[in-house]
Amino acid sequence: MTALAEDTRAVGLERPPLWRRVLGSDQLAGWAFVTPAVILIAVFAVIPIGWAALLSFQANNLLAPAHYIGFANYQALAKDPAFRSAVVHTVIYTALFVPISIGGALGLAVALNRKIRGIRFYRLAVFVPVVTSTVATGIIFLWLLDPTFGIVNYFLHAVGLPQQKFLQDPNQALYCIVGVTVWEWLGFDVIIYLAALQGIPQDLMEAAEIDGASRWSTFRSVVLPLLGPATLFLVVWSTINALQLFDEVYVMTRGGPIGSTTAIVFYLYQQAFSNFSAGYGAAIAVVLFLAILVVTLVQLWIGRRRVYYAS
Amino acid sequence: MKRYFVVVIAAVLALSACGGGSSSSGSGSGKHVNIVLWHGFTSPGAELDAIKAMTAEFNRTHPTITVTPQFAGNSDYALQKVLAAIAGGNPPDIAYLYGSWSANIATTPALAPLNSFIAHDSSFNWNDFWPVERGVATVKGQIVGVPALVDNLALVYNKQLFAQAGLAPPTANWTWTDFANAAQKLTNPAKKQFGWAYVNDGSEDTVWRFWAMLWEAGGSILESGSKQAAFNSPAGVNALTFLQNLARKQSIYLDTGSGNYLGLFNSGHIGMLWTGPWDLAQIASGHVSFGVQILPADLNHQTIAGPDNWVAFNNGSARSHAAYEFLKWFTSPAVNLEWCLRTGDLPIRAATTKLPGFKQYLAKYPGDRVWVQNLNNALQARPVLATYPKISQVIGQAVQSVLLLKSSPQQALSSADQQVNSILAAPS
Repeated sequence: MTALAEDTRAVGLERPPLWRRVLGSDQLAGWAFVTPAVILIAVFAVIPIGWAALLSFQANNLLAPAHYIGFANYQALAKDPAFRSAVVHTVIYTALFVPISIGGALGLAVALNRKIRGIRFYRLAVFVPVVTSTVATGIIFLWLLDPTFGIVNYFLHAVGLPQQKFLQDPNQALYCIVGVTVWEWLGFDVIIYLAALQGIPQDLMEAAEIDGASRWSTFRSVVLPLLGPATLFLVVWSTINALQLFDEVYVMTRGGPIGSTTAIVFYLYQQAFSNFSAGYGAAIAVVLFLAILVVTLVQLWIGRRRVYYAS
Repeated sequence: MKRYFVVVIAAVLALSACGGGSSSSGSGSGKHVNIVLWHGFTSPGAELDAIKAMTAEFNRTHPTITVTPQFAGNSDYALQKVLAAIAGGNPPDIAYLYGSWSANIATTPALAPLNSFIAHDSSFNWNDFWPVERGVATVKGQIVGVPALVDNLALVYNKQLFAQAGLAPPTANWTWTDFANAAQKLTNPAKKQFGWAYVNDGSEDTVWRFWAMLWEAGGSILESGSKQAAFNSPAGVNALTFLQNLARKQSIYLDTGSGNYLGLFNSGHIGMLWTGPWDLAQIASGHVSFGVQILPADLNHQTIAGPDNWVAFNNGSARSHAAYEFLKWFTSPAVNLEWCLRTGDLPIRAATTKLPGFKQYLAKYPGDRVWVQNLNNALQARPVLATYPKISQVIGQAVQSVLLLKSSPQQALSSADQQVNSILAAPS
């Protein structure tokens, strides 16, 4: 850079003044277009994230003047049994939610990827839960899963199965939340898979058919590899989503019964906004952010070696 | 991390960037002062209409002050918004805040100096407010706000279900044994009918009902001085045993915190509730013929009250004075009576109940009579401590584990005792 600058000066080429270079540049229009978005993202995302990181080194209740306490919040976090169980709940939830929702969506997408009567209706029906408010579905499921008055227990009774406590049983509540959230998010995954299925070149399918491949081996060796990029996207996206579980817990169980559904973000919320430990809450947020970053990088690294990208 | 945290911090930033808002047009005496009041009264509602009409009345009779009421969203989240406004350096002059937040609010330097206003003004008559209100509004001697609302728990029952079960209605002399017997007789699994309902979400809603039972059994929450837990006592075991016995007999409908119990009471599936005047409007709008009685006694008939406050913030001396002027007027007996008549809320001070017009209130809201009398049974306040929310979470889980039959009363109390003592011992 410097050498080049000296060179141009040496040959006596005059560079135009800065303002002329800026105004005349093709990039100006581009920058003008992105600036509003950049400002919004900076104000509502980057600066708060930076602030949260700063907060995590403070004793801060958001009311009294804060003071810096170094890594004390993080040290307390390492020894906090309630945080540890929140991590366990979140990991169990993620380990169930991600494979069940993606596997279920794959099956449904294959079933919906055909030309039959009313297919638009089925596709719409699958997607409706995604666009329905989480609070509304949460309250509906509270009624459906009510041990005495819920319709689910009514059906169990009708077919002679024992009555369940569902959200009121500490051993069942987390799995109920897995079920509800899978139902809620399945449609999103289905749409992604449907788009990917329709992007599979027809000639590859015909070639497989001509080679005498069975339907299963066509699916296994042609369709599935070509869905790789969509699967990778869904795994990364669903994992991030699952690790941030909050709304359903907040609406349906408040982390209970007996703390059995307290996930990391719900615990963070309790600390920051019920217990007035904003610094401690921020430390949890930072740890969660780093965990998500690491998990995502690992997934992408594995994905790069395993996923087939058609050129 | 994503939603709430970032949104609140973004709001702090946005507010601090904007600044401005309302301001006094001058700080000298005799100048006109504008102040802002944040409330959570939703539309349509009697409270919203009342606050609009009554601030207008104040503004008309006090030409140097203009109070502007502003809806600040659901009161459950009022503190988060006030926090953001304080951080932005522009808090409202007056805000409706829950009493359970007092100890934390007291840590902010942004409060208006209510103590000195009240101390220099004998006509304010601070001691006329109910003791439990003063207890919740005062943190280590500092008055953080003026009482805004008081309520308490009483027994609401379905008269028809009582008659069907051949039971006499509850009396003011009822004991826990009477209550438990009635609850069992009102329980009928075949008809999906329960004797009682208990909010079992582990929140403060779960906890405060237990405190009422603890006090009725003669127990205390903390030792005096608030250094040590006191609920792990024979009284505590009595209270939780009472609860667990009814739970074991399937006599309690466990509400997950969504308030389903109200609809079930109104459809005749629940015989008795322990609830407050806030549920009265919905119960009265149903088809159930209901009665209200004070809580049954173990050793006594104590209840628990949950007072909320109008907290005044310091935006300079002129605005603080104006805020105090308004609160003094607004909580004066005659004005409070007008508020009660408009909204059906309970009177916040004794003097209101001695006004001749108070008969009109009892005639208009006959269901409120017992809750007004029951204020005399609200003898104790919950500990006003910054760590109270943490204590509440521990107790919430203990009560849940007893209701769900996952641990015995003694096990639950011993484990909670240990946790609460370590919360109290931690440096704040």
